Order: sequence, then structure tokens, then C-alpha cells
Amino acid sequence: MKTPSEDHDLIRWLDGEMTDAERARFSTRLAADPDLKAEVEMMQRMSSDLRAHLPAEMTVPYGDFFNSQIQVRLAQEEPLIPEARASWLDWLRLPTLITATAAVAIAGFMIMQKGPAAGDSVVLSIYVPNASVHARTFHSDEAQATVLMLDGVEAIPADRKIVGYYIERTETDQEVATTTLYGKSGEVVLVVSKDVRNQPRLLSATPRG
Amino acid sequence: MNWLLIFAIMTGALTLANAQQPIPVVKPATDGKVWGALVYATNNAKGFVGSNEQAPADFADIPQRLGKVFPYQRFEILGQHLQDVFREYESWVVPTKDLFLKVDSKGPAEGGGMNLHLQFWRDQQVLVKTDAVLKAGSPLFIGGPKWREGQLVFVLVLQK
Repeated sequence: MKTPSEDHDLIRWLDGEMTDAERARFSTRLAADPDLKAEVEMMQRMSSDLRAHLPAEMTVPYGDFFNSQIQVRLAQEEPLIPEARASWLDWLRLPTLITATAAVAIAGFMIMQKGPAAGDSVVLSIYVPNASVHARTFHSDEAQATVLMLDGVEAIPADRKIVGYYIERTETDQEVATTTLYGKSGEVVLVVSKDVRNQPRLLSATPRG
Repeated sequence: MNWLLIFAIMTGALTLANAQQPIPVVKPATDGKVWGALVYATNNAKGFVGSNEQAPADFADIPQRLGKVFPYQRFEILGQHLQDVFREYESWVVPTKDLFLKVDSKGPAEGGGMNLHLQFWRDQQVLVKTDAVLKAGSPLFIGGPKWREGQLVFVLVLQK
């Protein structure tokens, strides 16, 4: 098992913070310790992968959202960490872990889709109750639009007539939990209410089409 | 007959009856306004249903934008709905009875736009729930179910 100072040396060596003499001593240790060498190689590979996918400097898109998600995940996993393993070294590693996790998340985010610009709409979370439906989201620069694509939704039968409305104004009555929808000429077109299961019920007044 | 359905019909009928008479209404506080439309995307204009709906001038380029995302060349607006987003209450965007959207405001977004919780409904079934930041000039396209020779797409735009 490595001592805390050995871990600290490893981080300093990776970050290029050692003096020439320290670097020489560490290189000697590295040559003699296969475990240490393996750990160094693993961390170098991870660092190299991250650098390959990330620019030297970048603004974290929706940083608050990522940080909150990371904090939630850490809080969820905290009870699973045995107390015997917890040491001051774990706390030393925590910022590195958070940075690495954030970087991986951001890299994945960038690979999956180009990050939204300040003026772009963005989908933050998706929940699909039906397991056979798959949702994915992306931003189209060309269309200047954000897309939420639902794959696997059961097709609407071809013989079903879709009746469209032109709704210009609504009034909501919270006492009876209904919303009345009005058309171009101020006519009542539709009333939306909810049943005891909180599901919407739509009642047409003036069907069109 | 299902008691829930009877209840919903009675509630709706009462409201419809009341809606015919002018009642003083206190307008709830709003956080913004959205335009929602259900669009039929197809490559065969002969399959159009004959709707005369046109997008408002501010959103006139929506069909062109849709053409850059969906693999269809022709787009017909089946229905549209201009809706206030209520601050304290849910809002409904119902361009058709078949596919519609429930919108809950989560307040203004940093840097402009609105934080919204959206539920996309098909009849009595919610297809997707999502939290989104909607910015003016950046529409949200929801690719919905296939229909006839094409696909139904729900468009949601925050009005400037």
C-alpha cells in the first residue's frame, strides 16, 4: 500500500511540479515499483484521453447543473465507501475526482452533441414512462432548433382524423380545475379538465376539420 | 360507463355552460407566452389534410427549419395555440386533441428565456416528461408518432 506522501508525489510528478532532484528520485522509484508504474500509466492514459477531447480552456456549459448532478451522485455513493478506506488522502483526491468526472461528463456531452450556445434552447432532463419509447435530444445548428426525438412511439392509425384547432386565448378556473380555450372569434373551442387520477380530459365545443 | 369519464364530462359541461356567459375573470400572473403547433411532416403533399393554418409571421420560417431536421420536404400545420405561461398554475398547449402539451413554469432562465417543465401527452398517456430551458428564437421540436405517410411533430416556441 502506498503512503500518503507517495500519492502526493505521484500527483506532483504528473502535474510537473517536482524539482529536477525530486523527479530523478521519483523516476528511480518508478523503475523499481511495477504497481506504481502501472498506476502512472493508467493516469497518463486518462489524462491523454481527456486532453484529446477537450480544448485547453473552455467554459463549462450549465456548470451549475453538472456540479449539482455530481454532488448528488457523490452523496448517493458516500455510504458505500467503507470507513476504513477513508483518509485525508481521499479528500485530497476528491477535487481531482470531481474535475475528472466533470471533464468526462463534458467530453461525453460534447461528443454526443455540440454544446448549446447562450441563445439556444436546451433539454435538461428526460423521463419516458413507456419502456418501449426511447428519447434523444440534440441541437441542430442548421435549423437553429433543439430537438427531442421520440423513437418507438406507437404510430397513430392512418384512418384516424386529426382535428386541429386555432387557440388564441385561454382562461383558467382553479376552483373547478379547468381551462377554457378560445378560438379566433372568441368562441369556446375546448375545455381541459383533469380526472381524479390527474389525467387530462379534453372536451370539444366546436370540432373542426 | 366509467365514473371518471362521467365526472370529467360533467365538469367540462358545467364549465362550457358557464363559459357562454361573461364572468369577471382575474387574469393569473404569467411568465411569458409560447406558441405551440402540431405539424404533419410528409414527402407527399397529396396526403395533406387540407388545413389552412399558417404560422404567425414571427415563426414563418418554422417549416424550413423543420426541413433541416426531419427527413421530409412538406410540412402542414394541423393546429396551433398561442398560450400564456402561468406563473402559479399549469398551462395547456392544445393544437389538437390527439397530441398536446402541459407546461409548468419554473421561472425565468439565467441569460433570458424560461425554465419549463413539459409533459407531452397523447390522449390519456404521457409520452415524455422533460425539463427544458426555452429561449426565444430557438424552437423546440418534439418528434412524435408516425402518421399516414409521415410523422407528427410538435413545435414549441417562446414568444419574444
